Amino acid sequence: MAGSRSVSTAARVHALLWGVFSLGGFISAFLLPVLIYVNNIAYPLGLWPAGATDPTSVLVAQRLSTLFIFVTVAGSLFHGVFRFMSTLPELGLRGGREKLAAAGYAVIGAGIVMMVVYLLALNPSILRLP
Amino acid sequence: MSKARKYPEFRRKLALGWWLSNRRYTAYMFRELTSFFVMVFSLLYIYQLSVLASRNTAAYNSYLGLLKNPVMVLFSTITLAFCLYHSFTWFYLIGKVQPIKIGKRTTTPVMALAVNTVLMAAVSYGVIRLFLMGGL
Repeated sequence: MAGSRSVSTAARVHALLWGVFSLGGFISAFLLPVLIYVNNIAYPLGLWPAGATDPTSVLVAQRLSTLFIFVTVAGSLFHGVFRFMSTLPELGLRGGREKLAAAGYAVIGAGIVMMVVYLLALNPSILRLP
Repeated sequence: MSKARKYPEFRRKLALGWWLSNRRYTAYMFRELTSFFVMVFSLLYIYQLSVLASRNTAAYNSYLGLLKNPVMVLFSTITLAFCLYHSFTWFYLIGKVQPIKIGKRTTTPVMALAVNTVLMAAVSYGVIRLFLMGGL
């Protein structure tokens, strides 16, 4: 019975992670294209309409758009890393799946924590109640 | 209760280029490889935020200059193409996995793709107008 309880917990965690992966997929499908376009294509090619200020500087100055950056990049990072870790064995990577998964989760965790630190450094007032 | 016997897991060995042998396998692998570009862009964007947060104007201007490099613009265009491919295949799969019954009819994956693509375009327009151009 103790064995079945530990398997059930692992299965629940696994299902939760796949749920977050799925949510990240929705986020990157709906929100990521516009961020790639304005930051990496429109602005560098001079298609950006707002003058000299780059899009990211404009986005981090406002509370709601900072939340947009966080949700978009965190969700996309989780989805991208999770899916890429799952794809590597299909491309021929043999062995070391546990280490690969651990490295993937470390990248996700570090990336999200660092992003929060940077966003708070750029706009410390975002956590204050309006 | 006796311990359940563990049986060895059978893993079929695939040749490295197995996904090139069939059009559907190739499309599948391209779909999965969209994750690489999503991951790389996310990491690069976090790096951009770190440079911006350092308050080092020269360093940030240097990074913005890097974004203008033709190789970087080409990579970004490829990244956007893969990201859009992820979006379209994701929307199509939503329609396949979760068809919706409306009256006597059931939605098709193509309908889900069309509706969600329009939604994505609307959300993108909203983001640009609301956040980057000062309001709707």
